[in-house]
Parts: sequence; C-alpha cells; structure tokens
Amino acid sequence: MFGLQSSGAAASWVVGRMGTDAHLYDDPDDASIPALLDSRFDADKVDALKRLLALIAQGVDVAHLFPQVVKNVASQSLEVKKLVYLYLLHYADKRQNEALLSVNIFQKDLSDINPLVRAWALRTMAGIRLHVVAPLVLVAVKKCARDPSAYVRKCAAYALCKLCDLLPDQAMALEEIVDILFGDNSPGVVGAAALAFKTVCPSCLALVSKHFRKLCETLPDIEEWTQIILIEILLRYVIARHGFVKDSLLSAEIQGINDSDPVASMPTQHDSAGNGFCGTISNIMLFRHYIEEFSGFPDGEGDSLRLSSVTTSGNNDVAILLKCTSPLLWSRNSGVILAAASVHWIMAPIGDVKRIIGPVLFTLRSSPDAAHVMLGNILVFAKTMPLLFAPFYEEFFINASDPYQTRALKLEILTTIATEPSIQAIFEEFQDYIKDPDRKFVADTVAAIALCAQKLPSIATTCLEGLLALVFYESSMSNSGHFDGEDAVLVQAIMSIKAIVKVNPVSYEKVIVRLVRSVDKIKEPVARCLIIWIFGEYNFMGNLIPKIVPAVLKYLAWTFTADVVETKLQILNASAKVIMHCPEEHMEEFKRIVAYVIELATYDLNYDVRDRARLLSRLLPCYTTHLGPSHHPPNGDICKELAYHIFDGKLQPSSPSTNNYRIYLPGSLSQAVLHAAPGYTPLPKPQSMELSHNKIIEPTRSNNSVAESGSSIYESSSVYDSESEGDGLSDRGTDASLHHQDNQDVPLVHIYDTSIQKGQTGQNAEENFADLISTDLTELMSKSALESWLAEAPADTLVQNSLQASSARVAFTNHSFERKPKLHTLLDSSDSNGLRVLYAFSSEVSPRSRILVCVDLYLENVTTQQLTDIAIKSEEASSGVDSIGQTSEGSVSVPTIVPVEGIHSLAPQQTEKMVLEVHFHHHLLPLKLSVLCNGKIHPAKLHPDIAYFVRPLPMDLNAFLCKENQLRGMFEYARRSVKIHLVQYDHLDKLEHSDKNLQVAHSVASKILGNTNVHLVSMDMPVTFNVDDTSGLCWRFSSEIPSTSKPCLITILAEGHASGPLDLTVKVNSEDTVFALNLLNRVVAIIE
Amino acid sequence: MLQCIFILSDSGEVIVEKQMVGHRVDRAICVWFWDYVLANAAGDPSKILQVVVSPTHYLFQIYRNGVTFLACTQVEMPPLMAIEFLSRVADVLTDYLGDLNEDIIKDNFVIVYQILDEMMDNGFPLTTEPNILKEMIAPPNIVNKMLNVVTGKSSTLGSKLPDAAASFVPWRTTVVKDASNEVYVNIVEELDACVNREGVLVKCEAYGEIQVNCSLPGVPELTMSFANPTIMNDFTFHPCVRFRPWESDQVLSFVPPDGQFKLMSYRVKKLKKTPIYVKPQLTSDSGNCRVSVMVGIRNDPGKPIDSITVQFQLPPLIVSADLTANYGTVDILADKTCLWTIGQIPKDKAPALSGNLRLEEGLAQLHTMPTFQVKFKIMGVALSGLQIDKLDVKNTPSAPYKGFRAQTQAGKYDVRS
Repeated sequence: MFGLQSSGAAASWVVGRMGTDAHLYDDPDDASIPALLDSRFDADKVDALKRLLALIAQGVDVAHLFPQVVKNVASQSLEVKKLVYLYLLHYADKRQNEALLSVNIFQKDLSDINPLVRAWALRTMAGIRLHVVAPLVLVAVKKCARDPSAYVRKCAAYALCKLCDLLPDQAMALEEIVDILFGDNSPGVVGAAALAFKTVCPSCLALVSKHFRKLCETLPDIEEWTQIILIEILLRYVIARHGFVKDSLLSAEIQGINDSDPVASMPTQHDSAGNGFCGTISNIMLFRHYIEEFSGFPDGEGDSLRLSSVTTSGNNDVAILLKCTSPLLWSRNSGVILAAASVHWIMAPIGDVKRIIGPVLFTLRSSPDAAHVMLGNILVFAKTMPLLFAPFYEEFFINASDPYQTRALKLEILTTIATEPSIQAIFEEFQDYIKDPDRKFVADTVAAIALCAQKLPSIATTCLEGLLALVFYESSMSNSGHFDGEDAVLVQAIMSIKAIVKVNPVSYEKVIVRLVRSVDKIKEPVARCLIIWIFGEYNFMGNLIPKIVPAVLKYLAWTFTADVVETKLQILNASAKVIMHCPEEHMEEFKRIVAYVIELATYDLNYDVRDRARLLSRLLPCYTTHLGPSHHPPNGDICKELAYHIFDGKLQPSSPSTNNYRIYLPGSLSQAVLHAAPGYTPLPKPQSMELSHNKIIEPTRSNNSVAESGSSIYESSSVYDSESEGDGLSDRGTDASLHHQDNQDVPLVHIYDTSIQKGQTGQNAEENFADLISTDLTELMSKSALESWLAEAPADTLVQNSLQASSARVAFTNHSFERKPKLHTLLDSSDSNGLRVLYAFSSEVSPRSRILVCVDLYLENVTTQQLTDIAIKSEEASSGVDSIGQTSEGSVSVPTIVPVEGIHSLAPQQTEKMVLEVHFHHHLLPLKLSVLCNGKIHPAKLHPDIAYFVRPLPMDLNAFLCKENQLRGMFEYARRSVKIHLVQYDHLDKLEHSDKNLQVAHSVASKILGNTNVHLVSMDMPVTFNVDDTSGLCWRFSSEIPSTSKPCLITILAEGHASGPLDLTVKVNSEDTVFALNLLNRVVAIIE
Repeated sequence: MLQCIFILSDSGEVIVEKQMVGHRVDRAICVWFWDYVLANAAGDPSKILQVVVSPTHYLFQIYRNGVTFLACTQVEMPPLMAIEFLSRVADVLTDYLGDLNEDIIKDNFVIVYQILDEMMDNGFPLTTEPNILKEMIAPPNIVNKMLNVVTGKSSTLGSKLPDAAASFVPWRTTVVKDASNEVYVNIVEELDACVNREGVLVKCEAYGEIQVNCSLPGVPELTMSFANPTIMNDFTFHPCVRFRPWESDQVLSFVPPDGQFKLMSYRVKKLKKTPIYVKPQLTSDSGNCRVSVMVGIRNDPGKPIDSITVQFQLPPLIVSADLTANYGTVDILADKTCLWTIGQIPKDKAPALSGNLRLEEGLAQLHTMPTFQVKFKIMGVALSGLQIDKLDVKNTPSAPYKGFRAQTQAGKYDVRS
C-alpha cells in the first residue's frame, strides 16, 4: 500500500517535470554546448542556450563561449534571439570587444517590421553599455522615440536611462528626447518618460513646466511603478516653482520657526494642539531636513527666505497636483499610496491632510510585506499630527505574528498617539503584552507605559500600581535565575517607576516606600542600584519615607559587603544623601551607620569603592561635626557647598529622547534605513526655479553616477580645506582663484578645485563655503561612512575621484604660450642662385577649406640682384588642384597644393611672405615642389609635420574625460618612459614662478603648444608635501582631425622628480588609429 | 533602481540569478544575506525585515513558500517600489507555474528568466501586467509540454507584440478571441480578530478581496454595485476601476482584464462577533501547568465552518507537554508549536483540548502566556455582510453567464491567554 502510494507520487512528479526544462537545470553540462551552438538547427541552439542559462543561474562563469553565442544573434528564430540577448546582457560588460560583433545585427533589427524585435534590439543594444556604440544607440533612440508602436517608444525611454552615463556630454540631446516623450499620447510612454527624466535630468524642472498640466492629468492612467516616480517629480516641480502651501502642515511648522527664538514658538504649539496638530522642536528640525536649503543655511538667513516662499492652496498647480494624486490613495500598490500620501502631507492644507490616514493605515493589512516600511513613515506622520491618528489606535495593536521590529514601531506609535479617551484601551493592551514570550518586547512595553503615564498624568497611579506589581512578580521570578531577558524587564520596570515618580515624588511617596521595602528581595544588581538611588534621592521627602530611612540604611550597611561594586557605590552615595538631610533626632544613629559603611568601603577590594569612601570621609564631616564650633573643620562651608552640588544638585530634566533619525523624506529608502543613501536628494529650495528656458542647460548636475553625486561636494571640499592648510602651493592657488574673482584679467595660472568650480556656476564661493560648513555633521558622517562601505563603486570613478582629490588644476590659457613656429628650409640659397625659401607650419585656418594645412613660406633674396618670376608649383600634378575642395573626399590622396600667385620680383635682401595651402591627405612623405625662379626650376621638398594636421578642439575637462573614456582599448596608443632632463629648463628661472613643478608644467606645455596645433585642456599639478615630486603632473590636450572631425586627445603624465630626469608617459586617443600612432611619435619627438 | 534579483531556496542556495544593470552584483551577497538570516532569525527569512542594510548593498527581500526573492541596490530608490515589485514577481510566477516552490522554479528556469527580463529593464519595472506577459511568454501548459515531449521543440515565446502593451488600457488586449462569455465574481474575506486575556473581543474586522475571473469577448463594460457599500471603511482598486463613478455613486465601473484578477480589496471594521469562540485557560501551580482550551460555535453563520485549527507556541522552559483532545488531532511540531486540528465542530460535543505542561525545575509558575492562533474557513458567506447588488455587462454580443461566490477564512485571529 505504502509502496504504491509513493510510486504514484513519484510518477506524478515525473509527469509534472515532463516537458519542462528540468533536465537542463539538473545537468546542464551533459552535452557539448559549443557543438550545439554551431548546429544548423534552431532547436539545438535553443538547447545549448538554455544550458548556458542554467549554468548562469547556478553561478558558473560561461563567458568563454561569448564569441560562439554572439554570432547566433543573427538567427531568425525569436527564441534563439531572446536567449542570446539574455546571455549577452549578462556578460557584455566583461567582453566588450566581442559584444561589438552584435551591433550590426541590432542595427538591422531596429528596422524590422515586428515591433517586438525592434524593442528587443533597442533594449539589448543599450543594455550592453558599450561606450563605442553609445552614439549609435542615441541615434536609434531618437528614431525609436517616434516609432509607431508605443511599446517601442517606451523602450526608447528606458534606453535613455542607460545612455545617460555613457554619453554625459550629450545631456542636451537626451533632454530633447525626454521632452518629446513627455508629449506622447500613450500613458505608458509618458510614465517611462518620467523615469527617463528622473535618471537623465532630474534637476531640469523647467522641462516639466510646459507639460505640467498634461502630466497631472495622465498621472492616474500611467503604470503604477511610474506613478511613484512621476508623483515625486511633480512634487519637486511644484515646490521649486511655487514653494509651500501657506496653510499646510509643513509651512505651519515653518511659521513656527520664524518666531525669532525657538522658545517663543512653544506656545504656538499649544495653540495648534487644539487644532489637532502638535509641533515640537524635533518636528521643525524634521521639516528643515526635507529641504535642501534649510540644512545648509544658518538660521537667520534661512528665515528670511521662508516667508517669501509660501504660496496659497488656491494656487492652480498645487490644486491640480492634489486633485490628481488623491485617487491614487486607492491604488493597489502601497508605494503609490505612500507617494501620494507624502504629497498631501507636505502640500495639502491642514484640514485636508486627514484623508491620507485611512488609505495609509489600510496598506498595513493589504500589503503585509510593506508593513514595516509603512510603519516607519506612519510614525513620522503620527508625530506631527498625533490627534488625527488617535482614533485609529486599534490599528497598532500587536499581532502574534509581528516580528520584533514591527512591534517596537507599533509601540512607539501607540505612545505617540495615546490620548485620554484611548489610553484605557491601550493600557489594557499593554498589560496583555507583559505576558508575551518575547521579553525584549515586554521591556519595551514597560518603557512605553512610563512614557504614556508621563504624557497623561491621569493614568500615572494605575500605571505605578501595575509596575509595582510587575516589579514584585519579576523579582520573585528572576531570583530563580532561569531566564534571559527577565532582568531587563525588571530593570525597565524600575526605570519606568523612577521616570513617573520624578514628576511629583511627594505624591507618590507610598510607591517609593513600597519599592524601597522590596529591595531585599531584589538580587539583580542594576535593579538594586536603581532602587537605592531612588531611596537616596527622595529620603527626606514626604512624611512616610523618612520613617523607613533608619531601617533601610541599616539593611544596606548590613548587606554592603555582599553587594557588587556598582551597588556599593550607590550605597555610599545614598548614605551621603541621607546624612545631608538627616533630622536632628537620628543624627547620632545615622552617623554611626554611615561611618561603618565608609569604614567597610575603605578596605574594599575595588579601588573605585575605596576612592569613593575617601572622598566621602573628607566631605561628610562638615555635616556630622556641626554641633561644636570648635570642631568645625576649616573649610566647612566650602565642603558643604561642594557636597550639596555633588549629591543634591538638581537633576537635569532629561527630555524623552528627542533624537529623531527619521529625518528623510517619507517614502525614501534613506527614511527606511535611517541614513542618507547615496543619491538621496532633499526637496528643492522653495520657489527656486526661474522660468527662463536657459535653465535647462544649467550645468549643475555634471554626472549621473548617482553613487557619488550626493557626497562629492562634501568630499572634495574637505580635501580642499586640508590642502590649503598644509600646502603652500595651493594656498597660493586659493589666493589666485579669489583674485581671479575680483579682476577680470585672465591670470597666468590659477589653481582651483572641483568644489570651487562647482560653486562658481551657481553662487559665489563664499556662499558655497557657508553651505559646506554648516552642513549637518551627522549627515556628513553617515554619507562618508556609507561611501566607504560601498567600496564596490565602479573603478574608473574612483580613479577620477582620487585624481580630483590629490591634485590642483593649473589652468594656462592657450594664449599664455607664444607659438614660435620653427623654420625649416625649403630651398637653400646655394642651390637656387640666391633664393632662400624657409617655411613654417602655421596654426591659421585656411579660408578655403578646413582640411587644408597652411604653411608660411618666407622667400628671401640673398643676392644683390633682383629675382623675378618666382612661383611655387607642385611637382607632379598641377592639374586637379583647382577642385581641391571636391576631390578631398575622393580617392585621390596625393598631397596637393592650392596654386598661389607667384611673386613678380624680389628685390635684393628683401623677404616676402607667402601662404601656401596644402592638402596633405595625412601623408607624411615629403611633398615635392618646384620653385620657379628666374625661369629656372628648382626642385624642393616640403616635409610635412603631422602636429599641424590637427586643429585645436576646445573642450572642458569633463568632456575630455568622457571622450577619453569612449576611446579606450584599441583607440589608445601610449608611449611610456619618455625621458627628459630638467637641466635644460634652468633658463625658466627668469619667469615669475620659482616653483619647480610649475616650471616643468610650463615648459612641457609650451613645448607642445609651440610645436603642435592643439588646445590645452588642463594641467593637473600634484599637491604633495614634497615640492620636488612631480609624479602625477598631467597635461591634457585636445584636437580634432579636420578631414573627419574626429577628436584626437593627447594626455601626458609625468613621474619622477623635478630635479632629476623626468619620466613622461604620452598617450593619444583617437578613432583614427594610424594617425594617432604617427601623432604620438611626433609628440614624443617634440618633447625629447 | 534594482541591480539584480536573486531567487533563493530555503537553504540559502541561489536558484536563479538575474543581473539587471551593467554593473554586476556578485552572488557573495547571497552568502552574506543567508548568514544574516541564520544569525537573526535562525534561518527563517520570513522573520527578517523586508529592507536589510548589508555592508555593500541595500537588500530587499520577500519570502513566499520557502522561496526568498532578494533584490539589491546601492542607491536611493523608493523601498516600497522594490518590495511591491518583488511580490508582483512572486504573484506572476505563481500564476504562471501554478505554484511556487524551489523545484518548480528550477524546472521552469528558462521561463523564469524570460519573465524576469520582461518584467524589469535596467532595474526598473517594465511590463508587469500578467495578461500581457502571458501573450509574450506562454505559460507552461500541458499542451506545450506534450508538444515538447513529442516533437522535441517548442517555443514559449510569443512572436508578436501583444496589442495591449501599446494600448490605452494596458491590462487588456484589445481583441479577446474564443472567450467563453462568462464572468465569475468571488468575494474572499479574512477575519482578523483579537481576544485579550480577559476574553474581551478587542478588535474584529474583515479584510476582503473581490476576485474576478473574466472571460468576455471584445471590450466589455462592467458595472458593479453593492447593496451596502457604506460598511466598507477602506479600499484599494485594480487600475482598471474608474475613480469618478466610485467617488460619486460608489459604483465600480471598469473594463476588466482577461482572466483572473483582484478587482478590489476592502476592510470592514468594528465587527461585533466572531463565528466561533476559543477559550483557553492556563493555570500553573508548583511546577505544573494545566492547559484547557474550549472551542465552540458562537454565532452560526448558516454555513458549515470548516478546517478549524488552533495553534500555539508552547511557552519556553517546558520539560514536557502532555496534551490530548476529545476531538481532532493534536500535534507538537518541531519548533515547539502545538497544532490542534479540529476540522468541523461536531454536533454532539464541544471540542476541548486539555493536558499538562511540566515546567522546568525550580519554576513554580508560568510567567509568559502563549497566544492562540485560530484558523477556519466558511464557504458561501462573507462575514462582513457585504453584498453585491448587481453586475451589469455591456458591450458584449450576448448576455454572459455570471457567477457569484463568497468565502470567509480566518486571517490574523489571535486569542491571548
């Protein structure tokens, strides 16, 4: 019977697995995958690809099959295609060069008639993230953004997100596409556009302004995931555009802080409490954190901003936003509900906020997985408007299945929203919780009881009764010593009693007496300490307590030796307090007891106890010897004073922990994890947006690798600070840069750091500094701490960071270098009857065509006779030169010159300049020319200089680095250890810089700029303590090849000492690799 | 932006790894996660919070039937988006594969990959509507499987883009062919209740979902109204529901997706009574604890109450437990959970569980009290009393067949002792 059943089960299991891919997952290696991949049949290929997928799923690295897989991308079968795409996306970043092989197929697929194929091709092509193909993808995205199929347009929006880190310099183009997609008819596309907006250009809120109304209206129709994104964008837009709503919760808080001192705002809190809203200082802090500006500015400055930045709820945009987000409170997606609720919480008039409460609370039940995150947000909401949540206290009753963290949050919310009507029910719940098996939770409950009792004194007596009973019960329990966590409950119970009693000790004296009387039953040291403290603190109060003092004191003296160190210290303290307040009639008795205790303590094993005893024995005689003035110690009064301050000083009223770490925007990850996650951005400054459309081009957001955007400012600034303290060089640099701000002259050198550079774009440097200094320290800490955690940041950004951190940048303008063209001889006077022709390459641009290279010819008559009919012709083809412009793209690639008019006559000793325009076609062989003079033909050779084949291409450093990144691998040529000696630069001493690094920097730059036609992008100087060390010195030059307009980048890196030989590494990046190699050789030659 | 999704078995083994962005996440993160689970929840991921901060990543996780869905990110993103997405993935997979467990995911891993790839692009949800997904990636049905066995080849991929992916109603394909012209409405309610130690019903409410299974041709227009809509306190809707008619007349007007979907969920609070009572009593005295639990019908809902179980965690510090019931079976499970399976309450006697717990040496009394979790199921009735008034179907060629059902089961039903 049994066997039959089990075989039946096995059979059904086999049937269940039949026809699935189970065998592939179980044993993916049992067939030769490469052979299958090469098979002619699609079925085999599918089989192989599924095996590969199974291996990927199991964590096996199958990247070595990449080439074989990639070629199958051309397959006609959709299934093969899809599986190849899955594989490709998994490994593309590892095998970039091979992935390139697939690009042609993608291009082809992009014009397939099946929209699904087009969409897949676009998704994969963008997904493989190759810098080289990024421009192609951009073209494809542009095309697909206008595709007839909405699905393809949606995928185009997704592809934009992938592009934005690959093409940071194309931000404008990307924004344009976002703009187009925002205007799309299909809600799905608009949603995806919102996503693209958030990734590509989250700060270009001006872009939203023209679509605002339409976006709001589309909001309910778009997909739920994009609703979350779009709501956030719209909220930021409205705040940046209009500021806060005047009668919203948030601005009500802000009005609070506008009262000049924080204390004055306290009364307003009580006024508004009747209204249902209770603002406390911590709430105000909370709101300040939400807004970018508030966390940065010192108070006074911020206040003036705030008053002006408030709008009314009648504002159209605000009203539309609120109207369109309110139905979303019924969404099935808790993320959407929370996003919509946050908008209402921040923007809605106070009276309307309550509509968010029901939906938000319902998510606790409808999306159980979201419950904990939701509770964290509810806690924040509840703290600002406890009365609105008060009727819903039942929602926060604990279920048996709640994990501990959820329970803790519920308890905190319950204490926050407890009111007179609800406290009875809540208190009954709390009593149930005391019996819960989770003792940590029980301890929390006991603490919560104390908080409620402090808040609502009417229940204090009941609470105390309950707590006392708990103390007695627990003390009996914990004596049996079985349980973990039992002690914590006992200690917490006594702490709660202490907290409640503190408010009005005299009225609770019975409680104190009962608690103190139980001290002999309690063995837990911490609990004993607490009780002894309470005894000492209140020993003289009321009528009942003094009566028990002698007995308790005796008992303590009696148990002293058996107690632990902490308890002994507390007993000593308590005895001192007792003796300070002791009535006359007990004086003698108490004196003896205390003396006994001190005596015992003096011989204790623990030195802390002995020290305390010695202290007391010096301090206390002033109390005990006041009877006879003759025995009065000399410093009695001072002693008394001292003792009073030590033992009787008023306790600082310890406010219930005001530490609120939930200072981040509701619904954000940072709010859930209690620190600023990388990429967290607070709300924009209210009314900070200008409606000018130039704003779109605003360069504030330089990169989108979100991991660093949030914190880079802080980081680099701190580096900057330390630099200016430690190094003379950058000190000077700071001066220079400040100086630069004052007068508009272009200085020769100015050193700046990235932070300053960023600062300059928006505001002046001083403001920027103020911003940085007053930044919330905790935020900074957590950010940097996390940065260091997240050590997995992409390697190249790290390199970039370290570059920025350790080097100052020296900016030479191109004009600060004289170009001294080097003269070469074309024709020597001895060969040509006295005509000497010299030539030099010029950086001028030919007026005829950009691809022509200008050569300056200097013709000099060194004879005493007149020379006539001087002309210069190309030796070979003198035809065809007319059509130079047309043939340039043709196959004729022989160097040609543009015919120039000859010189009729040249007087003796006269020099004539002539400009020859040559089309070299990148040929480096000498150009044969014939110089006609006096009717004779003199052959001559013009040696081309590749350094002048290029034209300067002005760009900034970021653009340079991006370009450089795209031109890695095969497009990069480098020559290492190019040695130069610095001795030859001694003559530079006459220049104003005496710094050797600067000398080196200057000399190399001038060499390059003097001999090549390039643009100096930047010059980075290492900032080290060792002035001699030039390692890290870096020059960057940019140029473009005129015929193809391809950029050609030159980077020179130095290593070694300024005084010794210098090792340079020269690197050229260009798509035209042959040209790059030649250029590299030439540059090296120039430097050497 | 999610960087990757891992699906883990209940022993922490990675079943499926799907990288979402170019920068790959090493699966070492799963090892870290599982160590964390072992350290903080003794290997039970359901007791871990949904958001976990690891040294390198922020992790989001949900747990279903022994399978953990784990997603990683390094940057700020709405955490609820990640959590909701993961639960949507779990729902879709369950819908596709009929069930969700480790084996079934392994057996269909290719489909799982295809679904994940379609549901998320670049770390952001792309297509999450089950109807559209089903047209792009065919579910593994018996016909497919047989084809696979017989011919040795089959494709699970649709060759054509579903119309709905591009339409204005993303949840519905424009033309639904071969529809059987019927619509079923199913009200499923869960009763949440909490009885405190005094035996007082502290809280009693019903959480309900209206599930619709719709197989109608064309683009039908449905209108549903309730006899007593005001009893509902809270609600959420499927995106197909229009807000206006609900706001003004509390009428659900919608173009339904094809197939099974959750039309709305709601809650009816402050119910007065539960259908059954559970009265636990624990009295402890000199190292022994007498347990007695009585179960009976309090308010007959008019339909049979099925599959009643009472479950509770034995208190710690128990040496032995001797529990018997006069009806049903009592099992003590490995994690010290006592499960009393009653089934239906018999006519002739009141089920009672009784027995003795032996406490540890030196312990006279029990200081913690267990909470009893009650389960039951009642077919054919919605305990909240919600009633559908009528369901109108327009825009269909012929009048469709309409079916209605209701059922109630216990949700979070806690009885403290």
